[in-house]
Amino acid sequence: MSTAARMAVAAPSAPDFQIAVRGDALTAVCFTAMASPCEVLLETADMQEVAELARAAAHEAWRIERKFSRYREDSVVSEINRSEGNPVAVDQETAALIDYAAQCHALSEGRFDVTSGVLRGCWRFDGSDRVPEVAAVARLLPLIGFEKLQWRSPQITVPPGMEVDFGGFGKEYAVDRVLAILCTQFPGAVLVNFGGDLASNCAPTQAPWQVGVERPGTDREARLLLEFSRGGLATSGDTHRFLERNGTRYGHILDVRTGWPVPLVPRSVTVAAGSCVEAGMLATFAMLQGRGAEDFLEAQGVRYWSLR
Amino acid sequence: MRVRLPLRVLIGWITTLSLCGCQTVGIKPWQHDILARPAMSLVSDPMAAAIDDHIYFSKEAASGGRNFGGGGCGCN
Amino acid sequence: MQLKRPPSALHLGLMAASCALLSPAARVQAADSVEQPFELDSALLYYKENSGRVQTIEPVVSLKKDFGDQRILGGTFTVDSLSGATPNGALPSRKPQTFASPSSTSLIPQPGKKTTLYTIVPGNLPQDPHFKEQRFAGDADWSQPLGLDNTLSFGGHASTEHDFDSLSVHTDYSRDFNEKNTTLSAGVSEEYDQIHAHGGNPVPGSDYELYEHEGGQTKTVSGALIGVTQIMARNWLMDLNYTYDHSEGYLTDPYRILSVLDPLGSVTGYRYENRPDSRGRQGLYWVNKVAFGTTVLDVSYRRGKDSWGIGSDTVDAHLRIDLGRGVYLEPHLRWYHQSAADFYDLYLSAATPAPQFMSADPRLAAFIGTTAGLKLGVTIGRYGEMSLRLEEYEQRPSDQSSALPQLQGLNLNPNLTATIAQLSWRLQF
Repeated sequence: MSTAARMAVAAPSAPDFQIAVRGDALTAVCFTAMASPCEVLLETADMQEVAELARAAAHEAWRIERKFSRYREDSVVSEINRSEGNPVAVDQETAALIDYAAQCHALSEGRFDVTSGVLRGCWRFDGSDRVPEVAAVARLLPLIGFEKLQWRSPQITVPPGMEVDFGGFGKEYAVDRVLAILCTQFPGAVLVNFGGDLASNCAPTQAPWQVGVERPGTDREARLLLEFSRGGLATSGDTHRFLERNGTRYGHILDVRTGWPVPLVPRSVTVAAGSCVEAGMLATFAMLQGRGAEDFLEAQGVRYWSLR
Repeated sequence: MRVRLPLRVLIGWITTLSLCGCQTVGIKPWQHDILARPAMSLVSDPMAAAIDDHIYFSKEAASGGRNFGGGGCGCN
Repeated sequence: MQLKRPPSALHLGLMAASCALLSPAARVQAADSVEQPFELDSALLYYKENSGRVQTIEPVVSLKKDFGDQRILGGTFTVDSLSGATPNGALPSRKPQTFASPSSTSLIPQPGKKTTLYTIVPGNLPQDPHFKEQRFAGDADWSQPLGLDNTLSFGGHASTEHDFDSLSVHTDYSRDFNEKNTTLSAGVSEEYDQIHAHGGNPVPGSDYELYEHEGGQTKTVSGALIGVTQIMARNWLMDLNYTYDHSEGYLTDPYRILSVLDPLGSVTGYRYENRPDSRGRQGLYWVNKVAFGTTVLDVSYRRGKDSWGIGSDTVDAHLRIDLGRGVYLEPHLRWYHQSAADFYDLYLSAATPAPQFMSADPRLAAFIGTTAGLKLGVTIGRYGEMSLRLEEYEQRPSDQSSALPQLQGLNLNPNLTATIAQLSWRLQF
């Protein structure tokens, strides 16, 4: 009754990573995680060293994806969203993410809200003109509001019908964690790049990292070339996911207080900060300001690039 | 009423169906969310599958197909 | 390029929050959700046939360890305790019939050997009520990646029971293509068995009362498999396998006999069965797994053909219905049809010479087998699952009566029904 042969006719979805050499002192580890192409650049030519680091990096990314992805039945997020009003005890890492969500909710005066995911039910940003009914959106508003959750570490209680989702900063968090893990094991320069969200510990000895940020415009590619040394860099964009009806464009950044898109949102905002989560959250806060995105970023005193 | 198809024709037909356009059929790496669920793996309950294989091996003339039977027993 | 200003209060707050999120304290605790490398899978099977026929209790334990990077070692141990009555191949008769148990032993007491006889009441299907067997089996397998897109696995199996020992090895190789949407695999296996029936192996085809025996016998089975697995869509996986195996050696069942009947249907004697010493089997197996939301449909079709003239079709479907909170219900339906072997016969005729190959084993007859069952599964904690499955299997042979006068009103090959109950427990740690 051997079941070993079934492993040969295996699930094709087993993830793995690839290692490529870029230049004479730079190695790249490439894999896929969190629906993005991920790469980790290391300033070394030692393949043996890279193999170990690559494994650590990829496994950490997949661990976070497995643990917090709302698409996975066995994730902590799915467990919380299935709880139907019962308290769920979470571990320290999840508690830290919930605390961060709470602080960002407060700092953004309620605009940033991890419970806004239920709006997916009526907003499908597929480029069509299927804008939802006002009543349909209004029906979902009572199910949104971080303040409606009961959060007393380590127990979170999500009322029935509501849901939480860390997708708003999950990728940036993974970038910072992978960087932190690699820094404890590797003395040289590291750049972690998960689909455009970056973090680095220091610049390579030759020159700073040359980063190209893709910002597709309507009729040209306005690629941003940056010199990046250390810290985090994140981009928030609105180009691909939208609805258009009667000449009005509805972007996918939603104002949770009304359930409708924030008007006059920039096409793209890139922010540099001390860490990737920080950069990502600043970019998100800026987008939530809509028309006032650039003024907001000016007021914070951060380096940013925006495209309208 | 049963359609009798020569085995060779059946293999040809089903193989063509699965392999033709196999360059265009498929999903992107980040779309593995549903298939990554344990319930979607080819053999989601190896215990029940092995036990069933053994029961039907000892009660019927045909056997296996999914993998190797992994050794026999004196029962057929 | 903008002028840098001192950070605002909001920015300071965000910096502090971000530092807290990434602090070592939060980092250390992430270790408690590390990959669970061990998986323990255990099951207890209870199988019982109707009319006092075979029943078995079978515990199975399997342990797998993931060494990381898809290098997996697995081992399984099974104990199979069978008992109950098993048909010996002879037909019911209007007169009582006496047989030795098991059929390979002599009717006439042999010096130094124990003889057990049993008598069948007229009209009943001859069944050996003393059937008792215990089987121990062990499997081990190893699977590992070879480079980026390839997987290699190999394994072995060994089992032993009073009258049968088996040893086998197999190896498989698979390769992913097309961004892991397509997987091609190939494998080979080799099995070596020793058959030593209680009382010795009867000479195939010989007269039952003459008690002609021969020494221990062996058989080998060589198998090959090729398969393709294709992701058809985000929610649809398809697998197609072709298998071929060739058996060579002693393929006869040493415990089965055939009734030899005169033209009226009265018993004139019995013969041991005789099967060819080689058998080639082909199988084509096609599986589809489709997810509809949280519900998963698993439907497969298998077509089989072998050199003994047996053709088979199997349709098997499972529907896994997620009831939420880690509970699922899975109804199961299976339909199986096989045609009879070329040399299968309900009985032999005394008027004609015995054919070269013959067997009255109901497992080589033409029949339809249907299974209906239900499984209930419950998640326990974060890493465990328990399930209970209850199924009914029914075999309905197509050949159950004969025109011969003495056999009128007798059911020569009754339907078989069996209950299958399995309790399983899976744990990852």
